[in-house]
Amino acid sequence: MSSEKAMVDQESRLSRLISTTVGYGTVIATMAMLFFFLILPVGVIVSKAFYSENGLTLEYFRLLFANDLQTVAIWNSILIGLATTFFCMMLSIPLSMINTKWVFPGKTLLSGLLLVPMVMPPFVGAIGIQRFFARRGSINMLLLENGWIDAPIDWLAEGNKFWAVVILEVLHLYPIMYLNLSAALANVDPSLEEAAEVMGVPRWRRYLQIVWPLAAPGLFAGSIIVFIWALTDLGTPLLVGFHDSMPVRIFNMVTDVNENPVGFALVFVVILLTVCIFLASKFMFGTKKYDMMAKGHVTSGVQKAGLLRTAMIYVVVGGTILLALIPHISVLITSISDQWFLTVLPEQYTLRYYEQIFQTDLPFTGIKNSFLFSMGSTLLDLVLGLLVAYVVTRKLVPMSGFLDGLVMIPLALPGIVLAFGYVITYTDTFLDPLENPVPLLIIAYAIRRLPFMVRSASAGLQQTSYSLEEASACFGASRFYTLRKIVMPLVAANLIAGGLLCFAYAMLDVSDSLILAMKDQYYPLTKAIYALFLEQGSGEFVSSALGMVGMLILTVCIVGASLILGKKMGELFRS
Amino acid sequence: MEVTLDKIDKRYDSTYAVKNLDLKIEEGALHFFLGPSGCGKTTTLRMLAGLEKPTAGRILFGDKDVTSMPAADRGIGMVFQNYALWPHMTVRKNIEYGLKLRKLSKVEIQQRLDDVVGITQLDGYVDRLPGQLSGGQQQRVALARALAIRPTVLLLDEPLSNLDARLRLDMRDNISRIHKQTRITTIYVTHDQKEALSMGTAVSVMKQGHMIQTGAPRTLYNHPNSSFIASFIGETNLLIGKVTDIASDEYTVETEFGLFKTTRVVGQYKVGDEVHVSIRHEAVGVDFGKEPLVADIKLKLRLEHLTYLGESEQFKFRNDAGAFFKATVFHTPEHSICDGDEVTCRVSAEDILILPYQADTDSGT
Repeated sequence: MSSEKAMVDQESRLSRLISTTVGYGTVIATMAMLFFFLILPVGVIVSKAFYSENGLTLEYFRLLFANDLQTVAIWNSILIGLATTFFCMMLSIPLSMINTKWVFPGKTLLSGLLLVPMVMPPFVGAIGIQRFFARRGSINMLLLENGWIDAPIDWLAEGNKFWAVVILEVLHLYPIMYLNLSAALANVDPSLEEAAEVMGVPRWRRYLQIVWPLAAPGLFAGSIIVFIWALTDLGTPLLVGFHDSMPVRIFNMVTDVNENPVGFALVFVVILLTVCIFLASKFMFGTKKYDMMAKGHVTSGVQKAGLLRTAMIYVVVGGTILLALIPHISVLITSISDQWFLTVLPEQYTLRYYEQIFQTDLPFTGIKNSFLFSMGSTLLDLVLGLLVAYVVTRKLVPMSGFLDGLVMIPLALPGIVLAFGYVITYTDTFLDPLENPVPLLIIAYAIRRLPFMVRSASAGLQQTSYSLEEASACFGASRFYTLRKIVMPLVAANLIAGGLLCFAYAMLDVSDSLILAMKDQYYPLTKAIYALFLEQGSGEFVSSALGMVGMLILTVCIVGASLILGKKMGELFRS
Repeated sequence: MEVTLDKIDKRYDSTYAVKNLDLKIEEGALHFFLGPSGCGKTTTLRMLAGLEKPTAGRILFGDKDVTSMPAADRGIGMVFQNYALWPHMTVRKNIEYGLKLRKLSKVEIQQRLDDVVGITQLDGYVDRLPGQLSGGQQQRVALARALAIRPTVLLLDEPLSNLDARLRLDMRDNISRIHKQTRITTIYVTHDQKEALSMGTAVSVMKQGHMIQTGAPRTLYNHPNSSFIASFIGETNLLIGKVTDIASDEYTVETEFGLFKTTRVVGQYKVGDEVHVSIRHEAVGVDFGKEPLVADIKLKLRLEHLTYLGESEQFKFRNDAGAFFKATVFHTPEHSICDGDEVTCRVSAEDILILPYQADTDSGT
């Protein structure tokens, strides 16, 4: 027995040293990475916005706000954000209520279809939409053929582009709001509502005074993410051609920012807006966390919908799905259309453009690059995410709460800000994106998706009892061995799901890709789509086909993730 | 392996979970830590396991100071309250885990697996996952897993608390049998006094981080050192009284139920001191009018409530001032006593115990 123990003694001393090193190494490496690729770039932007050769200055802000073009862009973006949030809410409230309250035939399928819009960056939809709503596009042709209008309507006239952007954003972002709300509503113990019901409180009052106050944090969390994403989305306004918006202005300023430092001031405004919104949300909901009572006997609160109600549900849910799929359908049709001129639908179909993807350089390189970059960033996320989640949930180091907060920042930090920061921080260094943007692209992808991974892994870790690890320690295992043999197999599902999400979102990343990749050979998928779209001739069709390929890849990933995560998927999109 | 706890303190921020704990656990003992929840018994066990570090004091396994030795190196076997079976591993894998970490030969591993599977009666279940087993089987797997590594000390953290009453009785016998077979020094934490009294070779009763008394089960029941132990182990009437007379070694105490005389005294008192008088419920006789009543002390009491339990009956009396006095009588004759009746009770002097007065002791009423 003593020799047995001696062996364990010796071996575990070494492995303990390793696990301690790994533990603190993780923290230090993560901190360093977050410092150099999150805090430093933002810091550089802020300092440049306030600093000129003559010292501290507010001159750039004066210039920014003196220029009507810029102030209009700021207002437009805020309005896009507000309008998008509002319509997302209007769309999601009935949808989430239906989801939590009623069962009806085909519910699983329809609920799944509701999430489809997440699989496409809205800017791909913008390509298709333009085909449909162009002066001689399908919609006008349809209306003309039926004699409902005499002259084609200019749907995408300059004045309508604002709403085109809003609609595309809403159709892309409502699933995030819907997931947040559904999760929040499902978390409200149905017996709370029943308690009011038996007291004779009418239904509308129960909703207003019991259900919604309890679900409000979820609604708010969803709103914040939707608002910030809509406020800072670059792809959609760029492709719709709505240039009077903040992200597009920033995009155009990146290249010559050193000659025109007003760009710094504009990016700072974005940062300021984001920070304010988050502070406001913490202020309003930070301390207000309702603890649901332990659910002893859970009455599910779900009822079977009657015939009439089922019909109504189909109209609402089906209508939303149909609306949300218009951009996808239009991209699909565009990608396979051959002869399409002055008709509602193409006269002939072809798969030529799909062939071209694999024959011409740009599209294929785009797919290949995105695959490689996203794989790299996902791998980085997996390692960092698991270790950070482990260190944080098991409170292995002092100030683990601080680390947790730090890791979550990218969820709120707009992609354009980060990409912009990278360009100005790392130009003329060994990471210069002009020379080779690959390291920065991978890091940018990884940093921005790290919160998904950490959330996903933490969710798994919180569900596995710590005593499983203590038991392993009692049998002589080091922490590292326990992590490998016990922890990882148990949270594997969460890791896979988180990894799929990271991968999917890296694949459809727009702002980092558009800003950081400056040479053809390094173009990721999204930038290739954008470049093709700008090309004359068949560019529009090939970019649609490429968009379809991207959508296919992402659908597989997201369906996979949601199958693994189930209802918990919504929690990943919480701030 | 003899285990020694030497002046152990465990502090969380400013509150003590365990304070100044001194204890020797004998080699081969089945030693119980017994106490209400939050008394520090589980914390003590976790310190023995190496999962928590004492704030002060030393822990010795034999002569070896293991105070700052991590759990992995102590060679202990532990059964967790929730069993902590790894759900992704079969019973076999669970049991082999610790053996593989010890780099034992294949033959040795198989041998030990067979041994513990036999001793815990798990034959035929080794290839199942924990989720496919009943609670009792899971409990036995946890035990088998801990035994397989031939631990120096076996630690059990409320191992039966998740089982239903029936199974719990079976498992008590099982654990006692296994302990007798292996003779491994075993430390067992529970809040169930029946478990401790029926199985333990020694029992330490803890309260609010302090060890109040350690001793054999009979010692604790018959010779409690405090009113806390008297009321915690078994059930007792704790009456507040004042010493009115001391004649040689016989003390007279005045209580609201009258005068009690006894020679059984814990502590030293002088006339006028406040004390606790402990009289076990089952030591109180009740006059059913069937046989002549011979007793040192007779009490006339009004019956407040009678609880019929089949093998016994519990009488709850109340005096005019509203104080309660309880009696439990086993195998009662047929009688017609009912709530509100005036009943005569008897108590023998040898069943009366005088203990130091303790203000916060719940008298059990």
